[in-house]
Amino acid sequence: MLGLAAISLVLAASVVIGVWGVRAARSTPDFLVASRSIVPGWNALAIAGEYVSAASVLGLAGLLVKNGVGAMWYAVGFTAGYVLVAALAAGPMRRSGAYTVPDFAEYRLGSPRIRRMCGLVVLVIMLLYLLPQFKAAGVVLELVSGIPYWIGVVGAGLVVSSAIAVGGMRSATYVQAFHYLVKLAFIAGPAVFLIALASPERRDAALNPSPHTDWSRPLLDLDGSGHPLLATISVLVATTLGAMGLPHVVMRFHTVAGARAARRVAVSVIVLLSLFYLWPVVYGLLGRVTTPTLEETDVVPLLVPGAIVPGSVGAVLTALVAAGAFAAFLSTSSGLLLALAGGLSHDLFGGSLSRLRLGVVVGTALAVALSLPASDVDINVLVGWAFAVAASTFCPLLTLGIWWRGLTATGATAGLLVGACTSTGAALASVVLDLEPGVVSVLLAQPALWTVPLAFVTMIAASRPGSVPNWASEAVLRLHVPGRYSTGDTGAIPRARRTPPDKRVDATDETG
Amino acid sequence: MNQRVRVTSPQTRLALRRRSDATRRLSRLAGHTPVDRSAIDLDDAERALRRQRRLAARTAIALLLALAALLTAAVFTPGRLGWAVLFFAPYPILLALAAIHVRRAEKIEAEYCEDD
Repeated sequence: MLGLAAISLVLAASVVIGVWGVRAARSTPDFLVASRSIVPGWNALAIAGEYVSAASVLGLAGLLVKNGVGAMWYAVGFTAGYVLVAALAAGPMRRSGAYTVPDFAEYRLGSPRIRRMCGLVVLVIMLLYLLPQFKAAGVVLELVSGIPYWIGVVGAGLVVSSAIAVGGMRSATYVQAFHYLVKLAFIAGPAVFLIALASPERRDAALNPSPHTDWSRPLLDLDGSGHPLLATISVLVATTLGAMGLPHVVMRFHTVAGARAARRVAVSVIVLLSLFYLWPVVYGLLGRVTTPTLEETDVVPLLVPGAIVPGSVGAVLTALVAAGAFAAFLSTSSGLLLALAGGLSHDLFGGSLSRLRLGVVVGTALAVALSLPASDVDINVLVGWAFAVAASTFCPLLTLGIWWRGLTATGATAGLLVGACTSTGAALASVVLDLEPGVVSVLLAQPALWTVPLAFVTMIAASRPGSVPNWASEAVLRLHVPGRYSTGDTGAIPRARRTPPDKRVDATDETG
Repeated sequence: MNQRVRVTSPQTRLALRRRSDATRRLSRLAGHTPVDRSAIDLDDAERALRRQRRLAARTAIALLLALAALLTAAVFTPGRLGWAVLFFAPYPILLALAAIHVRRAEKIEAEYCEDD
C-alpha cells in the first residue's frame, strides 16, 4: 500500500507540473516541439528522463541477476550512443528544421513516399519500445499492490494517454525533467541506504562475485549460446547505433534553440546518464546475493530492499523504488507516445491537432493490447530489439543523409526496407523458432551486428551515382553551415565572430 | 566585410519564426528544400562540410577504439573485478570523447564565420 501511495504521489505531482506546463498547446509546432522554446538545461534533463526507461531502472538490474555482470554493457551502449548523437546527428539535424525523422527524410530526399515509409518504421520502433514500458508498469503495480497485471497495464495506458493528449510536448518536457530527478533520487537514495544497511558478509559477497563463473564474466551470454563475445559486440552495436536512430530522442533535439545548443545538450545527457547508470548495478549485485533464484528477474530492484532490511524501513525503501520505476514508465511512455502519435498522424496521414490527439489514444491502445501477452518476455530483450531496429533503419538514414550527398530517395527506400525487414524478421524468428543455442541463435536474437552493415551497404549501393539534384546537394551543405543561412537555426553565431563593436547588433545573438 | 543585418526585437523574431515554421509545415514541400533562398557560398560550405565530416569520422573511430579497449580490459582484468572496470571506466571516457568533439566542431564553425 505504501508503494501505491508513493506512485500516486509521483503521478499527482506529474499532473500538477503538466498542467502548469500546458499553457495551451494550440498548434502542431506547440504540440510536437513546444514551439522550440525549451531551454537547453531542461531539455537535457528531459531527454535523460525520457531515455532512462524501465529497461534501465528495472531491466538492467534484472538482467544482471539473470545473465551476469555482462549486462552492464547495455548501460555502456545506451550512453555511448550519445557520443554518436553529438558527433553525427544533433547539430545538423537541428539545422534541417524538421520536426521528426520522417520530416528530415522529406527535407533531404524530397519524396513524400519516403516520409510515409519512415512513418511506418517509427511505428514499429515505438511499439517495440512501448511494450516493455507497459509491462514494467504492470509488474510494478502487481508487486506493490496486488492489482492484477492486466488492470495495471490498462490503467497505466489510460493515465499516460490522457495526460499526453491534453498537454503535448511542452508539458511533457517539464514532466520528464521532473521524472529524471525522481528516478535518480528514488533509485540512488535507497541504493545508498541498502549499501549501508547490508551486512558486511553480504556486501563482500556482492562486491566479489565468485570468479571463473559465467556470471562474473564481463560478457553478455544469451541463454548459454557459447558465443559471449559475439553477443556482447552485437548488443553494443545495437544500443550505441540505435540511440542515434530513436525517433523520440531525435525529436527532442528540435526543441532547443539552435544547432550549437543541440550538440551541447547531447553532452549534458551523457553526464546525466553516467550519474544514473551506476545505481541499477548496485541493485543487480545485491540482488545476486539476496534473491538469486528468481523467475521474474525484472522486479529485482523491488525485492532487494525487503530482503536486506525486513520490516518498515524495507517497505519504505521498496515504495520509493517502486515510485522511481513508475516514473521511468511514465516519462518514457509519454515521450514514446508523442513520437508514435507524430508518426501516425503527422507523417502517415498528415494531420491536425485533433488527429494528433487521436494518434496518442490509438497508439496507447495498440501498445496496451500487445503488452498483455508479453508479460514473460524480459524488458531488456524487447528494448534491445527496438534499438536494433532503430540502428538498422534510421541510423544509416541519418548518417548518410547528413554526411553523404550521394544518398538518393531510391537508396534510402531500399536501405530502410532491408534494414527494417531483416532486423524485425530476425527478432521475430528468434521468438518463433526454437533454435539450438549457437552462432545462428545469437545473430537472430541480437541481429544488429549484421543488419546495420547490410542497411548501410544497401543504401549506398542503391543510390545511383550522378542522379543527385543540385538542391539535394545544397540541402546537405546547409546542414553544416552555422548561423543565419541555415534553416531553423535561430542563432548560435559563435562568439569568435569578429564584428566591429559599433556594428554588433542584437540580430545575431544566442537566444531566440 | 560589411553586411546588412535586419534588427528585430526578440519577440518579433520569435513570432516570425513561429509563423514560418507553421507555413513550412503546411506547404508540404515535396521536392523542394524548405529553406530560405538566401545564397550560401558553396565553396565555403563545402570546406565546412569536409572539415566537419573528417572530425565526425575521427570521433566515431575513437569511440570504436575506446569500446574495443574497454571490452579487452574487462575481459582480461584478473580475478573478480571485471565488473568494476565496466562500472567505473566507460563513462568518463565517453564524456571526454563527446566534449572534445563538440569543442572542435564549434571551433570549425567559428572559423567558418570568421572568413565569412
